[in-house]
Amino acid sequence: MHFEGQQTIKASQDAVWAFFMDPNKVASCAPGFKSMEILSPEHFKPTLAVGIGAVRATFTLDVHLVDMREPTHAGMQAHGVAAGSAVDMHSAMDLTPQSDTLTEMRWTADVNVRGTIASTGARLLESTARKLTDRFFDCLRQKLETAPTVPASQTE
Amino acid sequence: MTTSITGIGHSVKRKEDARFLRGKGTYVDDVKLPGMLFMDIVRSPYAHARILNIDASGALALPGVLAVITGKDLDAAGLAWMPTLMGDKQMVLPVDRVVFQAQEVAAVIATDRYIAADAVALVDVEYEPLTPVVDPQKALEPDAPLVRPDRENKTNHIWHWEAGDRARTDELFDQAEVVVKQDLYIPRIHVSSIETCGCVASFDRISGKLTIYMTTQAPHPIRTVFSLVSGIPEHKIRVISPDIGGGFGGKVPVYPGYVIATVASIQTGHPIKWIEDRSENLQADSFARDYHISAELAAKRDGTMLALRATTIADHGAFDAAANPSKFPAGLFSVITGSYQLQAAHVAVDGVYTNKPSGGVAYRCSFRVTEAVHTVERLVDTLADELEIDPAELRFKNFIQPDQFPYKSATGWEYDSGNYPAALQKAMDKIGYADLLREQAEKRARGELMGIGISTFTEIVGAGPSHTFDILGIKMFDSCEIRVHPTGSAIVRIGVQTQGQGHETTFAQIVAEELGLPVENITVEHGDTDTAPYGLGTYASRSTPTAGAATAVAALKIREKAKKIAAHILEVDADDLEWTNYQFQVKGVPSRAVTMKDVAFAAYTNHPQGMEAGLEAVDYYDPPNLTFPFGAYICVVDIDRGTGEVKIRRFVAVDDCGNIINPMIVDGQIHGGLTMGMAPSLLEAITYDEDGNIQQGSFMDYLLPTAMETPVWETDKTCTPSPHHPLGAKGVGESATVGAPPAIANAVVDALSHLGVTHIDIPITPWKVYQILEEHGVAEA
Repeated sequence: MHFEGQQTIKASQDAVWAFFMDPNKVASCAPGFKSMEILSPEHFKPTLAVGIGAVRATFTLDVHLVDMREPTHAGMQAHGVAAGSAVDMHSAMDLTPQSDTLTEMRWTADVNVRGTIASTGARLLESTARKLTDRFFDCLRQKLETAPTVPASQTE
Repeated sequence: MTTSITGIGHSVKRKEDARFLRGKGTYVDDVKLPGMLFMDIVRSPYAHARILNIDASGALALPGVLAVITGKDLDAAGLAWMPTLMGDKQMVLPVDRVVFQAQEVAAVIATDRYIAADAVALVDVEYEPLTPVVDPQKALEPDAPLVRPDRENKTNHIWHWEAGDRARTDELFDQAEVVVKQDLYIPRIHVSSIETCGCVASFDRISGKLTIYMTTQAPHPIRTVFSLVSGIPEHKIRVISPDIGGGFGGKVPVYPGYVIATVASIQTGHPIKWIEDRSENLQADSFARDYHISAELAAKRDGTMLALRATTIADHGAFDAAANPSKFPAGLFSVITGSYQLQAAHVAVDGVYTNKPSGGVAYRCSFRVTEAVHTVERLVDTLADELEIDPAELRFKNFIQPDQFPYKSATGWEYDSGNYPAALQKAMDKIGYADLLREQAEKRARGELMGIGISTFTEIVGAGPSHTFDILGIKMFDSCEIRVHPTGSAIVRIGVQTQGQGHETTFAQIVAEELGLPVENITVEHGDTDTAPYGLGTYASRSTPTAGAATAVAALKIREKAKKIAAHILEVDADDLEWTNYQFQVKGVPSRAVTMKDVAFAAYTNHPQGMEAGLEAVDYYDPPNLTFPFGAYICVVDIDRGTGEVKIRRFVAVDDCGNIINPMIVDGQIHGGLTMGMAPSLLEAITYDEDGNIQQGSFMDYLLPTAMETPVWETDKTCTPSPHHPLGAKGVGESATVGAPPAIANAVVDALSHLGVTHIDIPITPWKVYQILEEHGVAEA
């Protein structure tokens, strides 16, 4: 499956870049996030619980950041397994400043899901992926656009 | 006297229903043995991958887990591969690569079914994904990934098979005034029996005897194969096929789970139970159909058919694990000439490997007959459309005529008997064909979409004569053993295995008829290799044609001996006796008669000196020919222009299966078969994405028909007995599955033919129809 999109985020390019370079921050917006093991700044293993239709699966992803060109381009490779399923993802983002407080982000993701999740949730895979992506960006926007001034209790 | 016998021709209520309707059947999952352990299977998420490592430590650390078995463990015992019934070999567990999604990778043995399932998730398998080949056409391209590098032949092509006369066929096509051509895809489908596959394997370390309770349609050949592969002497293996919740061909193959459970039982000394869950059954067990057909029919402009030819790519998945007779890798596909007189025909089929589970299961059809019948019945309608001749008229014009039987078909089959015009006429009268045509014309003028579809199929069942038919060299005879007890009751043991066909009733009726014993006094046993005579099993509508015949012949052997005992009791010469009104009677003297009950008692208490005591017989019946049941089906559909939904308004099925043993059971078989014929016509198909992910891994996506989708079937019969079967019977279990799809497809195409539609591949889903309606501007918003 190929996905791509464009987001305009009300934050500086540096702030957006910094957000994406912090695995804890990214993970806090990842759908179904449960825990994470950080092996290095560019290698970490989050565990996510995802439901697609009637199937629920807990994935541990092995994530590497690649092809880093601060502050404009970053790539990510992830491989994960869950019972009877495997997922592989290659994604990339490009950040372009629109102004000091506005950044355009273009992203692409190629996702391969194999096994039980693909075979029992095939019809729902793409719509679920889009829903989860939307949820991720909503969360990201909320955190980035309001983070500096709003107390932590209201960001939840 | 005669009424209590209720032999052949009576709608005797099914003996087996007493336990089935009360929920008291014994299926494999009901078998519980002391000390029994449970097995669950780790399956591959990838359609094609190298296995780099299997780490079972996490699973083994879970309390209750006793063992994790991998391909390397089996390889050490020489059991990582096993032979298939088609002369190919198949992985039991992979050593270094997987070749289809959901393939077995490792097995967990635990003290509890749920612990086993939890442990499956803890087995860590490291894979290196390889490019899968999913499309059989692409599999034949020179640079295609190799599905089976283990084979000497480094190609995905398995075999080429052909039948008929190519030169003569091509000559007729060259001269023909009209040629119609149609590409058809008969999709991959799954039998989806209500009971999944499973076994309980129990190895007794003291006696060295292995007992396997197994969901199998063919216990005897499986015991032989197990013995040959394992080296365990055949008398030390007992296969018991208990009550079976539907087979439909899917329970003929040997699945890896049976072998792994057996190995685990030998290793642990405990009985091992393995039962698939629904999704495992749907994703990994052998599939049916998956034929890519290109077919042509040549004719004269007046509608006289001349010749037919077809080329086919058969997608067999990663292992050629079908159960076709050895000489017929494409089954009986050459029955493609159907019910029609053709001067010549030629079919060629190429079997191909792909990264999918095994294909080729004869899903409620006698080895590829569904594919053949769909092709010829669609071609006939295409020709009718091309020539603007009514499809019924075109069929009448080309039918093999009743006086032409036995009829040698263009591909070499000898059809035993038939009366095709009578069956079609009966179906047309019953449905009111002429009125329907008028109604259709009126509706069409109003813009309503109504279609009438005909299918006049010929089946080919009862494999088969030993000169032609064998599986792994074992000839396709079948058997029966009858023992009459002193008080006039009897036990009948048969080599075939019932999966819902009602054998316990119909085989008792055959014996009741031939011996004059009441049907309720006759017990029928089957499915236990320690007690039943050797037989090839139940599939391909072969039970009545083969074991049914064996039963009749064995009963007649008993009657021969009984006659001598009767003569002894009546103190007359055996030649002075006649068998009439279910008893032996002195010719012309009704008052001087003895019943079989009298004879049975005498056989143990007062048999003639010099004669063996007892009253029993065995017969291994080698059929002289196959039998050819047939039928005429007419379907009426209405199409909803707003949703594309096809509604079957009426369906008349006139079947001819020769003499009928139990009319009620035959009707039940036809009702079930019609529903299983409708399902792939309108609902069912298994598809894969480019990564080899099955797209219908559960019943959420694989649509089985329910009562909501099933119309009221209208059935009727004609009766043309088989001249060579001892009872004149032909077999009927699969006629309806074979005959229904083209009737439905022809009806839908007919409803849309005025728009220029000439073909729609099955399943004809609402979405497919709606797209056609939109394309032609007749869809309602």
